[in-house]
Amino acid sequence: MTGGIGTGGDIVVVGGSVAAVTAADALRQHGHEGSITVVGEERHAPYVRPPLSKGMLKGTETPESVFISPLRADIDFRTGSRAVGLDRARRRVLLDGGEELPYDGLVVASGARARRLRPYDPQAGDAGELVVRDLDDAVRLRAIFAEAASLIVVGGGFLGMEIASTARGLGLDVTVVDQDPPLVRQFGAFLAEHMTRAALDEGVRLVRAPGGVELPGDGRPTAVRTSEGELLEADVVVSAVGDLPNVEWLADAGLGGPAGLLVDERCRVAPGIVAAGDVVARVSERTGRPRRSPHWGSAIAQARAAAMALLMGDEAPAYRPSPYYWTEQWGLDIKVCGEIMPGSTLNILTGSLEERSALIQWTRDGAPVAAATVNHRTPLAKLRKIATTP
Amino acid sequence: MRITVDEARCEGYGFCAEAAPHLLELDDEGDLKVLSEEVAPGDAANAEAAVRVCPVAALRLEP
Repeated sequence: MTGGIGTGGDIVVVGGSVAAVTAADALRQHGHEGSITVVGEERHAPYVRPPLSKGMLKGTETPESVFISPLRADIDFRTGSRAVGLDRARRRVLLDGGEELPYDGLVVASGARARRLRPYDPQAGDAGELVVRDLDDAVRLRAIFAEAASLIVVGGGFLGMEIASTARGLGLDVTVVDQDPPLVRQFGAFLAEHMTRAALDEGVRLVRAPGGVELPGDGRPTAVRTSEGELLEADVVVSAVGDLPNVEWLADAGLGGPAGLLVDERCRVAPGIVAAGDVVARVSERTGRPRRSPHWGSAIAQARAAAMALLMGDEAPAYRPSPYYWTEQWGLDIKVCGEIMPGSTLNILTGSLEERSALIQWTRDGAPVAAATVNHRTPLAKLRKIATTP
Repeated sequence: MRITVDEARCEGYGFCAEAAPHLLELDDEGDLKVLSEEVAPGDAANAEAAVRVCPVAALRLEP
């Protein structure tokens, strides 16, 4: 891959969330003058997902408040339009209505969908299993919470714990089930244990199911069966068990796989094709394996890099991942820069976890690898610096 | 064109300040400061991009 497509061609962006929107903006900022068509699967205009498990779900924010400010008039945005195939030879995106969109350059930002515990056919719709991924999911769950007294969340990652925290705040009796202790993978043992204690202090029940769980019955689930044979019941069961990259529409074009859509150091997939956001996998420098980074900050950085690489080719700057992600639960607002690797040491630089306000740095072999704030507002640039500078 | 921040929504993530550093910045306390509410025509594209990268939709542009 060498040259870019220049600033005059027709560009199609597949996807309708922040990666797609940012790529479209970045293409114009870098001088692209040809047409830009953004194809979003959802019936909604682009919106922000982070509030869906928090204020939106709790009811303190309205569904209308999550919409992203409308795209520029010189960008054609189509809602409710799903890409179902790609013809690389003829450079066309195939849409579900049968239409074909020709392109000179393609941005793949088709994102990811919630993983489900039950068999799931995206075309047939769900069989009652509840997840929180899209605005419609959150609106529906909010209405369900209003008439429920008890909730089981399957999955103790960020999303699962945020849903649990929101539901507990609404007065529901809440149980979280996971194969592993909650948040250890995201936060490391020490901070995860602190968060778990905060959840327990709020009256949440944590159940460990090392062998996994299933959702018995049909329709909306009201029970979880662990592989150890324990049956847990509640008015509502929500699955928060990760996400799967939307790559199926690229299969016949020979692109993508279960790990995601592999990109190079400039977010390029193939000549004339770049990608950004939750669908993207990159080979990790640390492990040598393809890995997705489905976070807001990654989507934005990748979208900018992808837009530049599409226009400028090798002249575009390489994408340097700088992880930044956050969560809000149990009254704790936590922002993390870097990667809290296994075996790293936690140092509290300011405040304390007991006082519920702290600035934290992790080091590994003496070198900083990550930094976090807990209820402690800090400029992003400073947090990034603490994550990387001894 | 004017850029405004809903301070009740803003969580200080900082994406907007990275997108338009001459219009927006996080101060030493991590609070967002709008350096210039009035957006000059030449800054419009940057301002629009900054508004759209906020993860909690706390920024608005008014004509």
